[in-house]
Amino acid sequence: MRRGGKQLALYLVVLLGALVILVPFYMILVNSFKGIRESALFGMGLPSEWLFANYEKVFEQGNIVRGFKNSFLLAGLTVLCVNLFASMAAFVIQRRDDRLMRSLYLTFIIGLIVPVSIVPTIRLMDILGIKGTYFSMIMYYTAVLLPFSVFLLVGFMKQIPRELDEAAMIEGAGFFRLYFRIILPLLITVLVTVSIVVIVSVWNDFFGPFYLVTDSTKWTIVLQIFNFVSLYNTNWGVVFAFMVIVVLPVLLVYLLLQRYIIDGLTAGSVKG
Amino acid sequence: MERRKYPLYFSYPAVAVFLLFFIAPTLIGVYYSFTNWNINADSVKFIGFDNYAALFQEPRLGKALSNTLIFAAAVTVLQNVIGFALALVMNESIRMRNFFRTVFFMPYVIAPIIIGYVFRAIYHPEHGIVNKLLEGVGLGFMAQDWLNDPKWALFSIIITDLWKVSGFAMVIYLAGLQFIPKDLLESAAIDGANYWHRLKNIILPLIASSTTVNILLSLIGSMKVFEMVMVLTDGGPGYTTEVFYTYIRSTFSMGEMGYSTAINLVLFALVTLVGLPVLAALKKREVEM
Repeated sequence: MRRGGKQLALYLVVLLGALVILVPFYMILVNSFKGIRESALFGMGLPSEWLFANYEKVFEQGNIVRGFKNSFLLAGLTVLCVNLFASMAAFVIQRRDDRLMRSLYLTFIIGLIVPVSIVPTIRLMDILGIKGTYFSMIMYYTAVLLPFSVFLLVGFMKQIPRELDEAAMIEGAGFFRLYFRIILPLLITVLVTVSIVVIVSVWNDFFGPFYLVTDSTKWTIVLQIFNFVSLYNTNWGVVFAFMVIVVLPVLLVYLLLQRYIIDGLTAGSVKG
Repeated sequence: MERRKYPLYFSYPAVAVFLLFFIAPTLIGVYYSFTNWNINADSVKFIGFDNYAALFQEPRLGKALSNTLIFAAAVTVLQNVIGFALALVMNESIRMRNFFRTVFFMPYVIAPIIIGYVFRAIYHPEHGIVNKLLEGVGLGFMAQDWLNDPKWALFSIIITDLWKVSGFAMVIYLAGLQFIPKDLLESAAIDGANYWHRLKNIILPLIASSTTVNILLSLIGSMKVFEMVMVLTDGGPGYTTEVFYTYIRSTFSMGEMGYSTAINLVLFALVTLVGLPVLAALKKREVEM
């Protein structure tokens, strides 16, 4: 009986915690359907009248489709670069495991800790003549996200037995075939984890494009919402609708692939 | 197979990108922090330690430093306590466990800038749900202007950040808990070890790697906080919630690039100073394993 009561109390605490997490989400959603006056009250009640016009107004801003395209493009190409470069590096770092590779690994780990020097990065892009281009953004994100990805992938590589490499080599495979045909498919769980981390980081990032992109046609969706709020924050209903539109894609990615987050982080960061 | 046969060139793309776009700006930054680089200057001139001398006389740097440290310490401790507690509960077979796990991690995938906007609404002195709730349960006297009152502003930002990051710590702890053999805990229970004993003597030592990863990631992550503070208070009121990155942004906006680079390097030194010992602990444990 006492045990049952304790369990129930625990359950209520968990339920309360979940509520704390969900209320802000609910708030965004419900207020995105309210008119200008009602939404300014930030209430929790259902709208007195369901307005879909807020969403129309967001899309009328015109640039939003372009913002989406920019965010998709940057996230997609960065996913490709990070997965390819990090897994190739992790492969030789873990397999060679000599002094050189250990210091390379340590360099990446230090890169995980120290902050980016953002203002000099602007200067660098200028010197290289690629300031404000998509290419510069993809390289910036790849550099920033490589350390964590290498960390996860090296951790996971340890669990792939070397005997596999030997077997492949005996059958006459070169290192590229070994890597693409044997190693890469076995890394898939962690690669999905890395992809989620990259997509979420790039999609949600304000810091990078704020400093590195001056041309508003290359702004990502997050930069656009910042600009939008600064200009139109008198109509919260529209702002909330904009938030729904920005949050939805990453939330979907997370809900569809969430199983990989726990699996990937488990394999890469803890076991290793 | 011989280790040294694995071709080095597999690491070249990663090394090249990392060298050029991460390490090079850091090194360039060291140089520019000793210059008068700004939008008004005709040419960039070397000015020695002038930026640093001016910087260390600014009380604003002290505020940014202490706020960043308070924020990082509070978030690191509380994120780990909450995350660990959540993981312990989520590791039991409770009803709708997967649903709860999914929910607790959810804020982690939301843009900090959007979390900032939503919490600005939540903390609103008049219409915000926090004050409404307090009034509703008869605690109206505790209602505050959370983000504009110097006493509460930093606290409110810390709570907002915890809302976002606690689920991440939970996932890492859950990962660690999966490796604890169930029969080990059961036999300890049969031998008369109560829950606290099992927690202290079995669970905590066995999830040490989760703890180190979590502490490292939350320490360095919280020292680099930017968007959330920018949206919630932008360092205000006064400089009471100023952190490094809001300070850097405001000097950058004034066109003082050399100066803001110097601030960035102070942050660099601080993060290194705090992060490396934790990293060393991580490496040491790896050797033991």
